[in-house]
Amino acid sequence: MVKRIKDNLRIIGMSFEIELRQNLMDGFVLFGIVIQPLIVAFMALWMLKDKGPDFAIFIVVGSAMTGLWTTLLFNGGNSIRGERWAGTLEPLVGAPGSLRIVVFGKVLANVTQSLLSMIGCYTLISLIMGYPLTLSRPILFFISILLTVFSFVSFGVIIASLFILIPDFQRLQNTLEFPVYILCGFLFPIALLPGWTTPISIILSPYWAARALHGSAQGTLEINQIFISWGLLIIFSAIYIVGSGALYRLVLKRARVDATLNTTG
Amino acid sequence: MNAIEISNLKRQYKTTIGVIKRQTKEVVAVDGISFDIRAGELFGLLGPNGAGKTTTIKMLTTLLIPSSGTATIMGMDVVKEAEKIRPRIGFIFGGERGLYWRLSGLDNLRYFATLYYLDKNVAKKKIPELIELVGLKGREKEKVEGYSRGMRQRLHIARALIHDPEVLFLDEPTMGLDPVGAREMRMTIRDLQSAKKTILLTTHYMFEADALCERIAVINKGKIVALNTPEKLKHTVQDLSIVEIEIFGIPPEFLEKVRNLEFVDSVAVETRDQRQILLVHTPKGPSAISDLVEALNGLRLGKIVTREPTLEDAYVRLVGGQM
Repeated sequence: MVKRIKDNLRIIGMSFEIELRQNLMDGFVLFGIVIQPLIVAFMALWMLKDKGPDFAIFIVVGSAMTGLWTTLLFNGGNSIRGERWAGTLEPLVGAPGSLRIVVFGKVLANVTQSLLSMIGCYTLISLIMGYPLTLSRPILFFISILLTVFSFVSFGVIIASLFILIPDFQRLQNTLEFPVYILCGFLFPIALLPGWTTPISIILSPYWAARALHGSAQGTLEINQIFISWGLLIIFSAIYIVGSGALYRLVLKRARVDATLNTTG
Repeated sequence: MNAIEISNLKRQYKTTIGVIKRQTKEVVAVDGISFDIRAGELFGLLGPNGAGKTTTIKMLTTLLIPSSGTATIMGMDVVKEAEKIRPRIGFIFGGERGLYWRLSGLDNLRYFATLYYLDKNVAKKKIPELIELVGLKGREKEKVEGYSRGMRQRLHIARALIHDPEVLFLDEPTMGLDPVGAREMRMTIRDLQSAKKTILLTTHYMFEADALCERIAVINKGKIVALNTPEKLKHTVQDLSIVEIEIFGIPPEFLEKVRNLEFVDSVAVETRDQRQILLVHTPKGPSAISDLVEALNGLRLGKIVTREPTLEDAYVRLVGGQM
């Protein structure tokens, strides 16, 4: 059991390293990591320059989360697609190491690089514009960031399985982008949405991440409410991770029946 | 003891035709094949493009689920016990895909060593050994995108051997290699055979199969049409002679005319540069030449020779002239 955990941690580490190194050698991905967040951060802060820091931090956190989700959806999804096109998905599936663990490492790399780039870009632009971003509860905010990574990664592992199952799934990538922004309350509270959407938001772990981040950044949540958000984030993320085991078994069996592990069948 | 046992293995695909009126069509890629491979044997699977060779290997390497029939590797079922089989097999598919081009050869091997649960210290020792074995020493830190086709193919071999598997599946490992690269690859395969690995090899090159394989199965349209040692397969065409006629363009009606001649067993066409070589299998030997020249009257002919049949001719006869 201990050896299995150690082996899986090594796979996560190696998959993280491989994904990151490949991304850093890809000009298009580098644009998404460095240039695009700088533009988004500049525009977001420029539009908010007269509205005061309380409102600004909500938008900054929200727009950073939307950027994070977009990067995860596109880089993570395209990475699986890239494996299929490069013919490396078959060797990955044919190796004893679990594909789910490999995907976990890949998604973790994408979320981490995106998050670091977002934090860097917003800090840099706010400094250049002389517009300090104040955090109401900085320690709770940074713990929330760490949990947000866990939340996005576990959600990303589930989403990545769709790219394995359906070779043409990239056609539907855009349709997944906005519903998650809206249902998870990245840019505005979910209280503004119709009541029937609330149960969907509640079972999405990024919703709890957004709630904890917004609450700790603006000070709009009590400490115990932030703890509840963390708890539910961890519970739903853990459910995704546990459930992804059975999901990947099903998806890989289907892919082996449908011959979709390679573009050449 | 058999390392691989295959019984009535079948694989079919569904494809759709048409845009508005969509029709589903079933294509049989592998049609109820059966054969066994002994532990330590180098077994060849030969067949024309689309015969079902790669589909067979993909089923045996647990990457495709058979539609029906069974296959076992070291006694383990490829569907029910796929996870137990994977650490004990290695595979490469011909061509240049299947590697991370933006990474170095060394990083590709490090990644797969981790995926095969190789201990860190074991991997540190094993990777340089493999790099040396496949002749990539000194180039291992360069990106794969800068490698030649032969170097990529050799990296594939190193990757397949990273966990020292008992059974190897090599799908056209010399495809697209230059003669020197292909010869080096054959030497590597021979070394693997000496190391008592069980190897299932597919190739288009008959001399390669003849030189390397202990037994050969010929597959055509998803079915095994012959299975024997290279020597015994050659015997199947011993009653025939091969007349090779150099032609500069042969229209299909002339080909049909030759095929329908009473003394002709089978016909195949090979293209070499601007010329075509018409290969006529006939029991009549050199005396068939005058009748053949008459049947091809009006076409520009070159050199005509008669020779003894080879394994390639046996193969051509078995697959009905498809090359």
